[in-house]
Amino acid sequence: MSRVVDMVFSAVLLAGLYATMAYGLGLIYGVLRVVNLAHGGVIMAGAYLAWYLHERLGLDPYLAIPVVMAAGFAFGVALYQGLVRRLPRGVAGGPASLLLLFGVWLVLRNAAYLLFTGNDQAILTAYSSRSVSVLGSHVSVNRLAVLGIAVVIALVLHAVLRRTQVGRAIRAVAQNADSCTLVGIDVNRIYTLTFGLGTALASAAGVLLATVFSFNPTSGSSELLKSFVVVVLGGLGSVSGMAIAALIVAVAEVFAILILPAYLTTAVGFLLLVLVLVLRPGGLFGHRVLS
Amino acid sequence: MTVRPPRIVTPAAGLVFATACAALAALPIALELSGYAHNLLTLSFIMIAGALGWNWIGGFVGQVSFGHAAMFGVGGFVAGRLMLSMQLPAPLCWLGGALAAGCFALGGHPMLRLRGPYFSIATIGVGEASRLVFTYWERFTGGSSGLSLPIDADLKYQLYWWALGLAASVAAVSYAIRRSSLGLKLLAIKADVDAAADVGISATYYQDLIFALSGAVVGLAGGLYASYFSFIEPSDMFGFDRSITFVLMAVIGGVGTSLGPLLGAVVFVLVRTYLLASYPDLYLGLYGLLLILIILFEPLGLTGLALRVLGWVRRARAPARGPAP
Repeated sequence: MSRVVDMVFSAVLLAGLYATMAYGLGLIYGVLRVVNLAHGGVIMAGAYLAWYLHERLGLDPYLAIPVVMAAGFAFGVALYQGLVRRLPRGVAGGPASLLLLFGVWLVLRNAAYLLFTGNDQAILTAYSSRSVSVLGSHVSVNRLAVLGIAVVIALVLHAVLRRTQVGRAIRAVAQNADSCTLVGIDVNRIYTLTFGLGTALASAAGVLLATVFSFNPTSGSSELLKSFVVVVLGGLGSVSGMAIAALIVAVAEVFAILILPAYLTTAVGFLLLVLVLVLRPGGLFGHRVLS
Repeated sequence: MTVRPPRIVTPAAGLVFATACAALAALPIALELSGYAHNLLTLSFIMIAGALGWNWIGGFVGQVSFGHAAMFGVGGFVAGRLMLSMQLPAPLCWLGGALAAGCFALGGHPMLRLRGPYFSIATIGVGEASRLVFTYWERFTGGSSGLSLPIDADLKYQLYWWALGLAASVAAVSYAIRRSSLGLKLLAIKADVDAAADVGISATYYQDLIFALSGAVVGLAGGLYASYFSFIEPSDMFGFDRSITFVLMAVIGGVGTSLGPLLGAVVFVLVRTYLLASYPDLYLGLYGLLLILIILFEPLGLTGLALRVLGWVRRARAPARGPAP
C-alpha cells in the first residue's frame, strides 16, 4: 500500500514538470499553428544556462528561473523575427517550419556540445538530497519545490491569458487572426510575443528538469515527445486541460513499472503518444485538431 | 481518335541514365580506383537508395518522417541475422531484410492517418521506441555490443555493383512514380487529402503502399550498409542521427523532386566524410545551419538552385538571339 502512495506522489511531482514542459509547445502551436520542433532544444538550453549560472556564479537554480526565462524570451523573439516569420503560412508552411525548427534544434545541440562537452550534467544543491515525510512516504524537498514552481507558473500563465489585455489579444489571435487585424491588434507583434513566451516557458521547464534529472546536449527528444503527448491529450487552448493531461501521462509512466520491464518505461511516453494520436487526435477535452 | 499517353521516359533521358550507370559500373576497373574511393562510392550508392526511398513518403506524399532509422535498422539487423544464423547468400539476406522492413512499415498504418506535424512527431516516437526495444533485445541484435557479420573481401568488393544496381533501380522507380498516374495521385494527397478523396483517391491505400515501399527500400539500404560495415549496433542503426541523415539528404537535394535526393545523398556523404575528418565537433550544427538556409532561401535545395541557374542562363542567352531592333 505504501508503495502505491509513493508512486502516486512521484506521479504528481512528475506531472508538474511535464505540464511546465508542455505549456510552451501548446501556446506556440495554439496561436501560430507551428509545431516548435526546437522545443526540446530550448529545454536543454535552459537546463544548461541554469547549470552554468549555478556552477560559475553560485546562483540558486530556482532564483535563476527569471534570468533563464528572460534569455529564453529573447531567444524566442529573435527566432521568430529572424526565421519563423519568413516561412510561408498554411499548408505549404507545414513541412518547411518543421524542417527549419529542426535545423535550429541541431544548431542548439551542437552549440551545447561545443560549450559544455557531451558529458552528463546535473544541478546539485545543498537541499537536493533532503526529503520530508508526507503520509508515511519520503518526498524530496527539491521535487516539492519543482511542483510548487510548476503550479505558480500555471497560475500566472492562466491569469495572464485570462485577465490581461495582451493575454486576451493572444487568445483572440489564436481564434481568428484576420478578425484581429480588423479590430486593431498588431498580429505580428502578438505572434512575436507568443513565440517568445513559449520559448521562455520551455527554458523554465529546462531549469526544473535540470534540478531533477541529469542532462546532456542530446537531451530534448523525449521532452519534446512528452510535451507533445500532453498538448495533444489536453487539447489546445486550456492551461487546466494540459495540467490534467500531464497528470495522466505521469501516472501512466510511473505505474507502467508494475507491468513493464524497467528499461521499457522510458518508451511508455512514445507508446502513449502513438495511442493518443491514433485514438483521440482531438485530445480528451478538445475538439478535433486533425486537419 | 486514339489517345496517346505521354511517354514516361524520353529516349534521350533514358540514354543519358543508361550511359551514366554503365560508366559508373566500369569506373573501378577502368580507373583502378583506390580502396578509399571505392568504399566512398559504395556508401554513396547505398545512401542514394535510402534518400530516394525516404523521399517517396517524405517528398511525394509530403509526410515528413523523422523515424526512418527504424526501417533502416530492421533491414540491417534482419539481413545480419539471416546471414549469421542461416548462412544464406547475401542478396537473399538483403531481400529478407527489405521484406521485414516493409512489413514493419506496414505496421505504421494507424500512424498514416495523421497529417503534417502529428505524423512527424509520431515518427520520432516510433523511431525512439524501436531504438530502445532493439537495443534491449540482446538475443536478436546483440545489444549495445552489436553484431559482427561474416563478410569476406570479395563480397565487400562486389558490394559496389550491388549498391550501384540498387541506387540505379531506385532512381528509375522514383522517376517512374513521379511521371506516372501514381505520382499524380500522391501529389493530390499531398495537396489536399479531402479533395483527393472526393475524386476517388484513397489516401489510406496509397499512403500505406508508399510507406511500405519506402520502408522496404530503406531496409534494403540498411542491409547493404550492414554488409558494407560488417559490424552493426542498434544505437547507430536505429539512432536519431540516422533518421536525420535521410531528412537532410532529401532536403539538400530537393524534397519532393524525383531525382534531387540522389544529388543530395552524394553531396551529403562526401561533405560528411570531409567534415567528420576535419571538424568532427561541428558537423551536426553545420548541417542544422544548412537546413535553415535551404528552407529559407531555396526550399527545393540543389535542384532548385540548378533550376534557378538554368533560368539565368536561358535569360542571358535569350536577348542575344532575339531580333535586333
